[in-house]
Amino acid sequence: MTDFEAIDALLAGAREEAPLPPAGERRALREELNLSQAQVAQALGVGPSTVGGWEAGRDPSGEVRDKYAYFLEGARTKLAERATARPAGHEPPTAEDEEGGPQASPHDGDGDDGDDGEALHREQPCVLCGRPARHQVAGFPQHLDPGECGTAPTGESDARTGSESAGTVRVVPAGRRVRTADESPDPIREAVAAALAAHFGDVEAATAALVARAIPDAMALLDGTRRGGRYDIVAHPWIPDILRKQTARGPDRIWEARPKWARPELPTGRHQVTALDINGAYLSALKTHLPIGQLEHSSGFGHDRRRAGVHLITPPVWEHDAVLPNPLGNRDEPGPLWVTEPTLRLLLRLSGPKYALCDPPEIHESFTSGATENLLEKFRVALKEARERAIAEEDEVTVEYVKAMYSKFVSTMGESNYNRELYRPDWMHLIRSQAFANLWMKAYKAHEEGLVVVRAMGTDELHVLGEWRRVFPEGRGVSEVKVKDTYTVGCDTDPVAADEHGD
Amino acid sequence: MPQHTGDFGAYGARGVKGSEAVARQLDTLAGGIATPVTTRRGLLARLHYLTRTEHARAAAREAGLTVTDRTLKAWLAGGRSPSRPNLERIETAYRAVRRHNVARYLLGRLNREGRGTRVELHPLNQSQVPRPRQRFVEFRTLNVRHWDAIVRAWTEGDLQALDDAWTDQIVDLGSQWGQYEYVTNVGFAA
Repeated sequence: MTDFEAIDALLAGAREEAPLPPAGERRALREELNLSQAQVAQALGVGPSTVGGWEAGRDPSGEVRDKYAYFLEGARTKLAERATARPAGHEPPTAEDEEGGPQASPHDGDGDDGDDGEALHREQPCVLCGRPARHQVAGFPQHLDPGECGTAPTGESDARTGSESAGTVRVVPAGRRVRTADESPDPIREAVAAALAAHFGDVEAATAALVARAIPDAMALLDGTRRGGRYDIVAHPWIPDILRKQTARGPDRIWEARPKWARPELPTGRHQVTALDINGAYLSALKTHLPIGQLEHSSGFGHDRRRAGVHLITPPVWEHDAVLPNPLGNRDEPGPLWVTEPTLRLLLRLSGPKYALCDPPEIHESFTSGATENLLEKFRVALKEARERAIAEEDEVTVEYVKAMYSKFVSTMGESNYNRELYRPDWMHLIRSQAFANLWMKAYKAHEEGLVVVRAMGTDELHVLGEWRRVFPEGRGVSEVKVKDTYTVGCDTDPVAADEHGD
Repeated sequence: MPQHTGDFGAYGARGVKGSEAVARQLDTLAGGIATPVTTRRGLLARLHYLTRTEHARAAAREAGLTVTDRTLKAWLAGGRSPSRPNLERIETAYRAVRRHNVARYLLGRLNREGRGTRVELHPLNQSQVPRPRQRFVEFRTLNVRHWDAIVRAWTEGDLQALDDAWTDQIVDLGSQWGQYEYVTNVGFAA
């Protein structure tokens, strides 16, 4: 039985082949419509030479034959319409016809609604401009009037000339392709919006919630910014013993050169001291030479600028303690010590001919790896831009969130139980040292510009005497400083009177 | 070299078995009492951990701490102190019970509901190998999704089973997996 059913189905499926006009007419029809072989071939899904073959006398078969017959039939109908319309004073073919848009397709002649398309019951987005349209042509919702449609004829010329208009979109490179700029996700903005929504606009609660999840969010952001990057982040390398904590709470053996310096004496008289605060010190310090892979030991090879890590050095003598802080911080113990790459580079720089402030340090041994400054660069820029935008919009929630992200990221990237994704105590030390080296360079700049540096302490605090505004711009950006405090020091009494009083 | 290493270190390569590094990392993640058992503080902390509840006592007994309750009481009171072999027994019992208690939570964090954990494989150290015999072995990472067998073997202290379970995972590295049987470090977080 099944055999007969199959035969019946076969007979029902068999159709007679669609009739085609003779070969010479096929070419004429196509050329009358100003269509190239390639355009027709693309619409039919065959090669251009195949279309050429059909026009030379070969006959297609099967499904393609039906399509080709449909095209030729449509072309003939369209030409017949044009022939009747032209004497009535109609315009020659519009731009849309020549563009090869949906209107130029053979659907026009298939008898459903002619050129006008069908009216839609509900508005649907136009396939050309995306705005709601009330008509459809061959199943594609679109505006029939080019004036209503936002893109149609103008979009193409704009994209070619690159002129600014509402029709263009900003694109950014993404890997080997491009994508529109607003398509790229902004996790910081999304997280802030979600937190505010979850706490019904309660700013304090939202800030607390965001700060609590800052570490995993920072790690997710880091992963996102490293996508397609040249180097993998090596999160769990072998760590030399000098970078391991001696006890559970104790420190390891790296000297980070944290400045804690106060000028020993000031000129007599009354002085107005300004305590300046460097904005986002750790955020800026994310740009530093970081070792990529596992640290390797070497001894006595001097300094290789392409590598970074920690070094055992004998520091040079510092003779400018009266006016400038020691770049090594206030180290009491004499003898060799383990310093990080930024401190060593600062010392090497200061010993060079340009500064000539001290002798070069003596390097004994090093744990280094190939280094790059760009490992955290995209991460830093993402955070910096979010911070700048939030400051411009006075969005304190985002400011606090970004601050928690970068500061907690730095403080937990070592052996911390709060962040087990990343186990790089070397990076933690290097980034901190970079912040201290940056502060030292700011102190040096102030000294060079004629200010009196009174104190340099912590990560970001610089106390100066004098007109500091001409040296440092004031503001909240990362390249600017803000005033933390102003106070007066000294007394107005002249030194002779003070001496007499003391006696 | 897609098979087990026959005679590791014959040409001077240095490293540890991958499974050993995994066990070490799991121990680090499990945490525990850092003070050594030889000090009074460390000893008391371990004894308290092993005798707090009836369940803990039973687990300790099963883990090899087969002393009478009277002895335990005397140790805790400070009247007597354990002998050197007994100190070792306390330490092993503590490690075993600790692993057993932590395993369930560690497993949950490592499997992450099927998403698994990214594992870094740091290749063996070839610095002492003669130059012609050195091979290029790169840093590799691997997402391990099924930790059950690994954590079970680690909990039971069964080194052979742990090695087998770990080998089952690293064969996913491809035909070069044999180069990663010995490593300098295996890094992962939980």
